[in-house]
Amino acid sequence: MKRHLMLTLLLPLLLICAHTARAVPPIQEATMANGLRVLLMEAHNVPMVAMQLSVAAGSRFDATGKAGTATLLAAMLGDHSARHDHRAWADLLDADAIHLGAGASRDDMSMSLTVLKDALQPGLDAFAEALLTPGWNKKRFTILQQDSIAGARKELEDPGAQAATAAAVLLYGDHPYGHRSSGTVTSLAAIGITDLQNLYAKQIKPKGAVLAVSGDITMDELLPLLNARLSGWQGAPAHDLMDITPAAVVQGKTADMQLPTSQTLVQLLRQGPARSDADFFPAFVLNHIIGGGGFGSRLMEEVREKRGLVYGVYSYFIPLAVPGPFVITLQTKADQAAEAESVVRDVMQQMADGKITKKQLQASKDNLSGSFAQRMDSNRERVGLISMIGLYHLPLDYLATWTAHIDAVTLAQVKAQAALYLQPAQWNRVRVGANLGSSTGK
Amino acid sequence: MPLKILIMLMLLFSVPAISSAAPLQEATFKNGVKLIVEEDHSAPVAMVQIWLKVGGRDEVPGKTGLAHVFEHMMFKGSKKLAPGEYSRRISAMGGNDNAFTTTDYTAYFETIPADRVDEVLGLEAERFANLALRDEDFQKEIRVIMEERRMRTEDDPNSHMFEELSAASLRLHPYRNPVIGWMQDLKALTIEDVRAFYKKHYVPGNATVVVVGDVDFARVEKTVARTFGRMRARDIEARFNPVEPEPFGPKRIQVKLPAQLPMLAITIPVPVWQPGKNDREMAALAVATHILAGGRSARLQRELVDEQRRAFAASAGYDPFSMGLDLWYVYGMLGPKQTTAAFEKSLWALLADMKTHPVAAAPLAAAKRNMIAAEVFAQDSLYLRAKEIGRMEVSGIGADHRDQWLQAIGNVTAADVQAAVSRWLKQDRSTTGILTPEVKS
Repeated sequence: MKRHLMLTLLLPLLLICAHTARAVPPIQEATMANGLRVLLMEAHNVPMVAMQLSVAAGSRFDATGKAGTATLLAAMLGDHSARHDHRAWADLLDADAIHLGAGASRDDMSMSLTVLKDALQPGLDAFAEALLTPGWNKKRFTILQQDSIAGARKELEDPGAQAATAAAVLLYGDHPYGHRSSGTVTSLAAIGITDLQNLYAKQIKPKGAVLAVSGDITMDELLPLLNARLSGWQGAPAHDLMDITPAAVVQGKTADMQLPTSQTLVQLLRQGPARSDADFFPAFVLNHIIGGGGFGSRLMEEVREKRGLVYGVYSYFIPLAVPGPFVITLQTKADQAAEAESVVRDVMQQMADGKITKKQLQASKDNLSGSFAQRMDSNRERVGLISMIGLYHLPLDYLATWTAHIDAVTLAQVKAQAALYLQPAQWNRVRVGANLGSSTGK
Repeated sequence: MPLKILIMLMLLFSVPAISSAAPLQEATFKNGVKLIVEEDHSAPVAMVQIWLKVGGRDEVPGKTGLAHVFEHMMFKGSKKLAPGEYSRRISAMGGNDNAFTTTDYTAYFETIPADRVDEVLGLEAERFANLALRDEDFQKEIRVIMEERRMRTEDDPNSHMFEELSAASLRLHPYRNPVIGWMQDLKALTIEDVRAFYKKHYVPGNATVVVVGDVDFARVEKTVARTFGRMRARDIEARFNPVEPEPFGPKRIQVKLPAQLPMLAITIPVPVWQPGKNDREMAALAVATHILAGGRSARLQRELVDEQRRAFAASAGYDPFSMGLDLWYVYGMLGPKQTTAAFEKSLWALLADMKTHPVAAAPLAAAKRNMIAAEVFAQDSLYLRAKEIGRMEVSGIGADHRDQWLQAIGNVTAADVQAAVSRWLKQDRSTTGILTPEVKS
């Protein structure tokens, strides 16, 4: 029974990272003849290799009304190949304990591989086969689609999933970020195998793609293995990752979803900074102070520690190619929801008005800097960070200089970001629960 | 054929998995506190975990949830630390602190820069020995815990159904009670209950300190001697571990909840691993469960989901490191046109097949290779490494037995798998739970 499970779920979203040069092995870079960027961080303590290929083929490329296309494509690519049906494929992967995964988020689609060092060759064979020779088996498509639809139906029981569905629409409308990557019962049913093939043909290309690797291997060992398998992969995607316009800003909008639960989920939302935002670090520290820092955060202190209103209340923003969502979320029994929301709005207003102390800033900086090493503590975590660096064209010393960036954030900068982002009136709201009525919580 | 199997087994053990982990270094102090250290100098980080031999099983009827409530109270201040100060101090050194409670144990853990281990052990010992336990903090925290219960159980039909199913499956064993506690018990708990629990269970003889990471054993040993090692020795009581009566036939329950789709789950009480006593049989049950539910070629997925289309997702689980017994489980999530009856029928047919037909050499070898590979992948995370050490230690198996378990997995034969499934996974020993969606107006 974890005390704050939410935080562990949250960390991958935040892509927190960085500090002390001694803790950060360098990221080595190579570019293959086909344009694929290979980024490697060596780690020789466990005889394994983890990698992730990221391609600009996320759910933002889903056609209108067909949310879930990229996710289904990822599922199809991982399921079988032209040479192996799904049964033979599963046997082949399991015989060498090859963990092959694929999935889609808003901007990118990723394919990941985790293998023991001594199974690297068959692992890479499988990885290349899945990526380059899709099987497009119609029967398998129908099964994967049906099971996804059933999964989406089951998710209608889940307040968090319902909030996410409503939030995407509320915040982004018709913009490519205006739907969840997993799709809905209706949108999944509208997808045909040709939609997957179109997305594959347009976007699954090596130019602009990034292969992030971490583990018991050197670049000299890795490159020949990749060249032997991926050099036939050619071309550039129709749309670059950065080829997207920001969504129109909305504020003061609300959406309520009825669900027969004892708690009400309250989510406040607005657009946050993009990955490339010049003030990324001050905004990042601001989020840590208000609700990203777990028990030290202002929201946790006011809503949980002082008032006992919730088990968890937290904030995060998802930095994407253009401004992604900035979210504050909590769950509490229905008759406390208005009170909890009002406490959250008070905290936001105070911070927007500049009520942030030097001491709070220092506490957040200390935690962020000190916690760098553990965020980098496994191959799979490192691969996630390296992918992000490659995909969004961040400098390769991003991790090594991260702490310096955090340390350099001033109180004035954080206050400016608070004034920019935390005005309660600029936020939107989604609630999920029973008998929501018309209470505003203001 | 036998040669082929032999080669596969050799391949299996050429995996440097087991040897890549550093040897465990242990010390036991006069008052009963135990220390286990695994040094790993690959990054300047350390994971510190304090394990307590106290959990949901140590609660008395009417006071379920107490062990977990207690875990929350550990963050509410002590003689030298104000409420929340503990977390603030850990946070200031860049650590994240957290804790978890199960039926069998409670564990508190911190990931921190390696040079702060001494400091953290000092903080842990301080709150362990001198907890404040103020009523005003308790009154707030119990409300937080009720919200936690609403979020995790009341408002989650699957988890609600599993809670009901566990309670119906067992008559005596404490796994029948939810660790978070029944809501009516939470409403009745008082600070006096919490204080009594503290006095009885938070004694040095129940504590095991696990440190994994960039540390030096001798130095950690000195620090623990200075902190946990100095606490006054107190008696420890034998833990509640009753023998569950054998089931006399299949049981069924139906749980009606607001939900979208039905789910069917089956539980069966099965033995846990006792090193040197049932290695072969329990390793075989673990391998059987992996064949059913692990990897890409899992039979539940392949046969029940992909081929027969009886469910849109299905899985099973067995934890050989539980205490007393484990509640083996299998479940299927049913899509709009799938019925619980058809799923149930296919499931028992699959188990019958595993009883009558030996698993082929290739899938058996794949299952074992994946189970051992999972151990290597787990070495990649300090958290998982420390957790495995801690839980094997406090469940009574002993952390030094981890390689023996992998050996046992490696030794499992097709006949062993057949025998384990035949002996333990019987309909007459099972409890079936069906989540029936109820439309709430």
